[in-house]
Amino acid sequence: MALSSTSETVAGSKPAASRGLTTRRREMIAGYLFVAPDALGLLIFVGLPMLLSLGVSVFDVDGFGSFEFVGLANYQKMLVDPLFWSSLRVTVQFAVMLVPLLYVVGLGLALLVQRTSKVNTVLRAMFFAPQMISLVVVALVFQLMVVDKLGVLPRSLSFLGVGGLSLLGNPSLALFTVTVAAVWFLMGFYMLIFLGGLQDIPREYYEAARIDGAGRAQSFWNITLPLLRPTSFFVLIVSTVAAVTGAQAFDLVYVMTKGGPANSTSLLISYIYQQAFQYSAFGYASAIATLLVVLLLVITVFFYLITKGGRFQYD
Amino acid sequence: MSLKTNLPAGWSRRSLLKGGAALGAGLAAAPLLGRSAFAQDTTLDFWQFYAPDGEVKSQVDWFVKMVDDYNATMDPKVKLTYVVNTEYMNGTKLATSFASGQGPDIFIISPGDFLRYYNGGVLADLTPHIDAAAQADFPETVIANRMVDGKIYGIPMEVEPMAFYYSVKAFEDAGLNENDVPQSWDQLLELGQKLTNADRYGLLFETNPGYYQNFTWYPFMWQGGGEFQTAEGKSAYDSPATVGALKLWQDAVNSGAAPRQVLGGGGGDIVANLGSGYCAIQNVGIWGISAMDNNAPDVPYGIFKLPVPTGGKYVTVGGGWAFVANSKGKNPEAAAKFIAWALASMDPGSVQRVVDWCTVAKSDMPPRNSALEAGKEAFNKGNLAKFANDIHPGTRAEPRVPPEVYKIISDSIQAAMLGGTDPQAAATAASQQLDAFLASYTGAPLL
Repeated sequence: MALSSTSETVAGSKPAASRGLTTRRREMIAGYLFVAPDALGLLIFVGLPMLLSLGVSVFDVDGFGSFEFVGLANYQKMLVDPLFWSSLRVTVQFAVMLVPLLYVVGLGLALLVQRTSKVNTVLRAMFFAPQMISLVVVALVFQLMVVDKLGVLPRSLSFLGVGGLSLLGNPSLALFTVTVAAVWFLMGFYMLIFLGGLQDIPREYYEAARIDGAGRAQSFWNITLPLLRPTSFFVLIVSTVAAVTGAQAFDLVYVMTKGGPANSTSLLISYIYQQAFQYSAFGYASAIATLLVVLLLVITVFFYLITKGGRFQYD
Repeated sequence: MSLKTNLPAGWSRRSLLKGGAALGAGLAAAPLLGRSAFAQDTTLDFWQFYAPDGEVKSQVDWFVKMVDDYNATMDPKVKLTYVVNTEYMNGTKLATSFASGQGPDIFIISPGDFLRYYNGGVLADLTPHIDAAAQADFPETVIANRMVDGKIYGIPMEVEPMAFYYSVKAFEDAGLNENDVPQSWDQLLELGQKLTNADRYGLLFETNPGYYQNFTWYPFMWQGGGEFQTAEGKSAYDSPATVGALKLWQDAVNSGAAPRQVLGGGGGDIVANLGSGYCAIQNVGIWGISAMDNNAPDVPYGIFKLPVPTGGKYVTVGGGWAFVANSKGKNPEAAAKFIAWALASMDPGSVQRVVDWCTVAKSDMPPRNSALEAGKEAFNKGNLAKFANDIHPGTRAEPRVPPEVYKIISDSIQAAMLGGTDPQAAATAASQQLDAFLASYTGAPLL
C-alpha cells in the first residue's frame, strides 16, 4: 500500500494513465532521464574515444592532419617492435608486484584499524592522507627520499651496511621503487574498501568461532577471507586496471624516472603516450591502446568467470 | 499523504529535468557560438614557454617588448601565449593542437623537433622574407639544421654550447685550482673520482632518457670522429668513436664518480646539482651562467671546455630554440614576416634584440655575426667571454633527427650508461636499428 501510494503521489495528483502513460512507465522515463547525463558523459568521454581510437588504429596518422588507411599494419608493427614487448613485459611485472602488494597492505591496514577508537580514527586518516596529495608531489617526495647518497633511504641502507644502492638509477631496482611509491599512494583507498567489507561480516560469526575454540588465525582464514571474497574481487579488478592504465602507472613514472633507466620503468601506458605525443604516431598509439583495452577486458572476463560473476553464491 | 523528497523547496523533479535539458542544450551550443565569435580574429598567436607568465622577468620583458614594438606599427597583431615549459616540451598541448588543426601561428622548436614538424608539413618557408645580407649573417653551423633544400624554416634565437662547470670550493678542498681542469677524458674520470666523497659526486652527466641526454652526449661521439650517419645515408653508429663515448659515460657511473640519478629538473639544472653541492663538476650549457648568477650567487664556480679523448679533436654541441611559422596557420605569410622582423632583419633593432636576448634576458651565444659584433663588449666580459673565446669556436649544431632515431640513440646511451650493456654491443644493436629505419625513411635529410 505504501509503495503504490508513493508512486501515485510522485506521478502527481492526476490519474496515472491520464495522458496515455502508466505510472510505471513514467517512473521509468524519469529514471532514464536522471541517468542520462551520466550515461551521456560516459558515452561521449569514454565510449566515443574508444571507438575513435579503434578507428584511428587502422590509419597511419602523422599528427598534422594526414590520414592514410593501413589496415592492420599498426597491429602487425607491434609484433616486431621490441620496445612494445619490452613495455608490455614491464607492465606485467609492475602489475604482478603492485596488485598483491596493494591487496596485502590494504587488507593489513584495514585489519589494523577496523575497531572503532579514537586512535584508529587518527590512523585511518593518516593512512588515507597520501590519496589527498598530488601524484606529482608524491613522486617528487619519493625521488628526494631515494636520491643517491643524500636520500633518507640510501643513507639508512648505508648505515645498515648496504651502501651504494641506487634505488631509482639501477634498472633492477627502479621498478620496485616506483611500485612502493604507488602502494604508499594507493594503500589508504584500498584500506577503506576492505574496511567496508570487514564491517559487512556479522560479528556473531567470530563469537561463534571463538566459543568453538577458534584462534585469531583460524577466524581470519575461515571467516574473514572467505567472506571478503566480493571485496577481494573488486580490489583485484580495480587494482589490476590501476596497474595497467591508472594515473599512478603514468604520473609516477613520468616524474620519477621518465621510463628509465634503460627502459626498465617504461610501462605500456607511457609508451602509448610517447608514441602519440612525442612521436606524433597517433595511429600506432591507438592500436596499442586498443590492444590494452582488449587485454583488460580479457582479464576482467577471466576474473568474472572464476568468481561466477563476482556474486560468490555459496552452498 | 505527502511526498518527502530531498529537493529544495519549490523544486520539482520536472523542473530539475527541464533545467538539466536547458543546461545541456546550452553547453552543446557553446562551441558553435564560440567558433563564430572567434572566426573574425586575425591576431597571430605565438606559443612559447617564456611570456607573458614566465618566471624570469628579463625574459618576459624581452618577449613583451618585442611584441609591443611590432604591434605598434604592424598588422596583423601578435599575441603571446605562455605554455608551461614541461607541458610545452613533453606535454600534449602542442601535439593535440596540431593534430586537431588548431596549431599556433608562431611557435618555437628545438633542432630535436625540427624534422617532426617539417616532415609533418607545418613549417612555413621564411626565406622570401629574409634579405640576402641577413641570411648571410647566420653562420652555416647555426642555420644549417633549420634549412631544407636551401630554404630557411626556422630562425634561431640563441646558441647554447655545452661545457663543464666546476665548484671552486670542491676544487679548493681537494687542493686543486683552475690550472687543474682536465684536458683529456682520462683526466676527467680521474678528477671525478678524486672529487667524489660520501656526500658528493665528482662528476655529473644527464641520466634521464630524453632529447636532452642525447644532445649532451653527441659531442663526446664527435670528438673521436664518430657520426650516426654516413654521407650515403647509412648508419655510421657502430664505430670506435661511438663505443668510446658510450664507455666514457659508463666508466664515469661504474667508477662511482658520476651518479645514476640527478636532482631537480635534470642534468641541465645546475642550481639543483652543482649549486646544491650534489656534484663537483657538471656537464651543462651556457645557460648555467645566468642560472647560477641568479639563483646561487654565493656559490663560486668555474667553467672549462669539454676535454677530448686521446687523438681526438675538440668539439662541443650548440643547442638553442628557433622561431617558426605554422604553414597551416591563420596567416603564414604574416607570421613569417613577424619572425623575419624580430630576429632576421639587418635593421639595428633586430640585431640589438638578439644581443639583448643573449646578454640581458639569458646568457647565450648569439646566432648572428652582427649580434656578436654589436654585443662584443658584453660577450667579452666574465664567463660569457670564456664561452665566446674558448668554448663556442668549437660549436657544432645540435643534430636534427626524427623521433625514431632519437629513441635508438637514447636507448644505446641508457643501456651502456645505466643498464650495464657492453658499449660495443649497445653501439652494434643501435646501428642495426638505425640501418633498418634509414632504409625506409623518406623525410628531409638528417643532419
